[in-house]
Amino acid sequence: MNRDRGHSPPKWAIRFLRFYCRKEFLDEIEGDLLEIFDRVAHNEGKNRAKIGFIWNTIRFFKWSNIKKTTRFNSNNFTMTGHNLKIAGRILWRHKMNTLLNVIGIAVGIACFVQISLFVNQELSFDKFHENGDQIYRVWGREDYGEGQEFFYTNTPIPLEKALEENIPEITTAIQYDAPSFLVGDGENRINERIAVASPEFFEVFSFPLLAGNTQQPLADRNSIVLSEAYATKYFGNKEAVGESITVQIGEEKRTFMVSAIVRDMPKNTGFQFNMMISNKNGEEVYSKEAMEAWFNIQPETYILLNKNASITDAESKLPTMIKTALGDRVEEGQYQLGFQPLADIHLNADYPVGIQPVGNPKYVYVLGTIGILVLLIACINYTTLSIGQSLKRAKEVGVRKVVGAQKWGLINQYMSESILISFIALFIGLLFAYLTLPVFNELAETNLVMPLNLLSISLYMLLALLIGIATGVYPAFVLSNLKLINVIRGTQPPNGGRYWLRKSLLVFQLLLTVFLISSTLIMKKQLNYMQNSDLGYQREAMVSMRLPADPAANGLAAGINSGFENGLLIKSQLAQNPQISNISMVNHVFGSTGWTTLGFKATDNTFKQFTLLIVDPYYLSSFGIKINEGRDFDPALDQDKREGVIINKAAAEFFGLEKPIGDKLPGERFGQHSIIGVTEDFNFASLHSEIGPLVIVQNSGLIFQGVSDFSLSDSPIPKLIFKYNGGSLLEVKSILEKVWSSTFPNEELRFDFIDERLRLQYQEEGRVNKIIGIATALSITIASLGLLGLTILLVNTKVKEIGIRKILGASPSTIFRMLFKDISLQLLIAIALSVPLTLYLMQMWLADFAYRVNIGVDMFLFSAVLAFGLTLLVISYHAVRAAKSNPVNALRLND
Amino acid sequence: MKGTYLGEFEELVLLTVGALHPEAYGVAIMDEIEKEAGRSVNISAIHSALRRLDEKGFVKSELGGATTERGGRSKRIFELTAFGKKALDEAQAQRLKLYNRIQDISFGN
Repeated sequence: MNRDRGHSPPKWAIRFLRFYCRKEFLDEIEGDLLEIFDRVAHNEGKNRAKIGFIWNTIRFFKWSNIKKTTRFNSNNFTMTGHNLKIAGRILWRHKMNTLLNVIGIAVGIACFVQISLFVNQELSFDKFHENGDQIYRVWGREDYGEGQEFFYTNTPIPLEKALEENIPEITTAIQYDAPSFLVGDGENRINERIAVASPEFFEVFSFPLLAGNTQQPLADRNSIVLSEAYATKYFGNKEAVGESITVQIGEEKRTFMVSAIVRDMPKNTGFQFNMMISNKNGEEVYSKEAMEAWFNIQPETYILLNKNASITDAESKLPTMIKTALGDRVEEGQYQLGFQPLADIHLNADYPVGIQPVGNPKYVYVLGTIGILVLLIACINYTTLSIGQSLKRAKEVGVRKVVGAQKWGLINQYMSESILISFIALFIGLLFAYLTLPVFNELAETNLVMPLNLLSISLYMLLALLIGIATGVYPAFVLSNLKLINVIRGTQPPNGGRYWLRKSLLVFQLLLTVFLISSTLIMKKQLNYMQNSDLGYQREAMVSMRLPADPAANGLAAGINSGFENGLLIKSQLAQNPQISNISMVNHVFGSTGWTTLGFKATDNTFKQFTLLIVDPYYLSSFGIKINEGRDFDPALDQDKREGVIINKAAAEFFGLEKPIGDKLPGERFGQHSIIGVTEDFNFASLHSEIGPLVIVQNSGLIFQGVSDFSLSDSPIPKLIFKYNGGSLLEVKSILEKVWSSTFPNEELRFDFIDERLRLQYQEEGRVNKIIGIATALSITIASLGLLGLTILLVNTKVKEIGIRKILGASPSTIFRMLFKDISLQLLIAIALSVPLTLYLMQMWLADFAYRVNIGVDMFLFSAVLAFGLTLLVISYHAVRAAKSNPVNALRLND
Repeated sequence: MKGTYLGEFEELVLLTVGALHPEAYGVAIMDEIEKEAGRSVNISAIHSALRRLDEKGFVKSELGGATTERGGRSKRIFELTAFGKKALDEAQAQRLKLYNRIQDISFGN
């Protein structure tokens, strides 16, 4: 066989073999491989031979064949190996202690990891955009003095063009809105939110387009972009690009062509759209007038700044731009615009909510802190336990020092132990976190996934290393500083300082635990209060159902009126059902935000704002809202329908009406009206805010003509309200569907229960409370593990004392008292210290709510009892064990 | 007996080493096993088995001469040791002893 004719195995495979293979084996292995290669090449062809050769080199890649490098053969490396071996042996010898430590830290890590995933998701909102640091959202502020101040992040439509034309620092300005439209043709029309955005949207934000026209998906006004999920929803497995979708915009049914598919929105973005059309349809979506109106705010406006341009330069040009655009319509300083960084939107509660949802930064910090606290408790646990144990290791240290161990060597050795523990704990903790993540997601109503990429794994490793160092550093120094002579002589004078630190660490740990217990209790109490408190109206089993408005109705008032008319059609049919009672109609339902808010200049020249509710005459009675003064609307009286006004007590006070009945609202331009009743204050918004002034009318026109400002974000179209007395949810659905489809065949039926909506209002608090609850349960577990470990140590150091006491006739209860005395003092200090801390922090949290519970003594008593109970339980276990053991065994011990 | 235990595959390799004497090296052993036992084995498995047998003292080896067939690489020639021969004898004897106890009756259906 001659190999010069191209029959040679792949060079890289030989090189690989030579790279890993041990010198002494290389010759025979390479020889055998070449022999086989030649034979196979001869019999079965070159390619088979090559593949076989590569396969064989891989098969030889075994531990026994691999070169043993000498590079790491230094003293440090050997000592590290030795240290780890010794650490492993010692941990194995003290199995119970190791188990407690590992479980404690593992639980701490699991809890920390899960909470950090949550916090990370909140903090990473919209931070993934390629040009993220050049993107800003525009806010506006109008200030006309006398409290007439408006601050918003929704912006006028002409702003986009004005920004692009007047400010050279801006590459593009885009607008984004997410109104609802009826989608579909024929009977099954669905109300969907469709994003309306400028065609450059995908150039500014990094949402990858997967199929279709990925360059200019929104260039055509009849184009629609779908998310992957919605492409499947509407077209199944069919190719969606090029298909058409019917959307009703205004009064017109329009056909849109699917131009591109965008990847489903990630969880951590505020732009949660599934369908998007171009804002070239602005005239139809909004109105012709709105396109030029500077005092009508609808979409959010974003700007993409030029690379290297400064935002302050751009901002400084805003006043000139406003002057050019608005001219004389506003005075200097009345109209103000500004920029807010994109990444700042999600967690900055100082800016009003526009279209993007805003999270509560407070909760993110609270949760982050709790995650760290739980981990801290676990670490302190380990430190206190290992300081306690260090006494037993004194002899070992002595011997090592005699043999010549240096201080740093000893420190390294004890650090290896704690690092080993923290790595074992990391492994178990991550596994635990991974397995319980679905439970966490369900409880906290989140949708987190644990990333297993190189970055996160190296971060976790770093975490374990830090924990290992942090927990081990103190015990390591204590041990390595032991005086050799004392150790060898066997007289180890107790070092007061060390006990002091150990005790205060224990106090600190208990303090954190007690703090977490009482905080959870207080938060729970507040949540219960919010969910069950008397809101001033009767809400059980109340159903609200959206009514359709006549699409031809011109203007808001006409739309509202047509809704009421449609409601009457349904009402008469529903009234026949014996399970349905208390039927009424209203244009805003409890549990929704953004009710119609109106402002007017009062007779005393102040600007006053109030909330308006448009109802039918049965509204107050069907919700059982109590009348404080005057009377309810009388359905029989036409005058009530035209001119009757009912206000709440807060409004009477706010408007300064001393005898409201028969009086009028303090504005000049309202229509002919008369106040006929004053209701008790009922909580129509959420308990986060105080009850504001509310005006209730049947005839909206008389109010609308007297106000100068108007804002609303909830749908103003009336809803039908009724009480459902039956039991089954499915049944109410079938009743409604029957009535609905015969009356409004082309509209989608939407209804929900009011208590459910109200519960959703406090969803975030509920979520946070659950997470804190879990964290507390975990910290209690960790703390009791710590107590268990400490009492083991305590009992061990007092074995002889207990033995002697028993021989002299001590009863089990005496021994119990002796053990308990030591820890109970520290526990008492911890509880005492936790009270002011909890009070302070919880009052800060409660300040968020206008209506809040008192932090009672009961909370602290309860958590104190709980902490004491746990301690008692743990200690009594040991006391009983120690008391039962034969004192002879204890005294015979020779060490 | 930890360490001197003779596994089934090891025994097969050991037998082949004895049978091929004095030409027992990796590829030859592989071929012989395929021919005699009908088992197709990867060369790396043969090497591992030989190394284990060497560690246990059943075989000894030395580097043989280079041939052009192998691109100038030398072979490692294996040879049974007395201990290896004894281990084979014992295994054989043990097997025979049990085999002889099988009664001469007809098996099967």
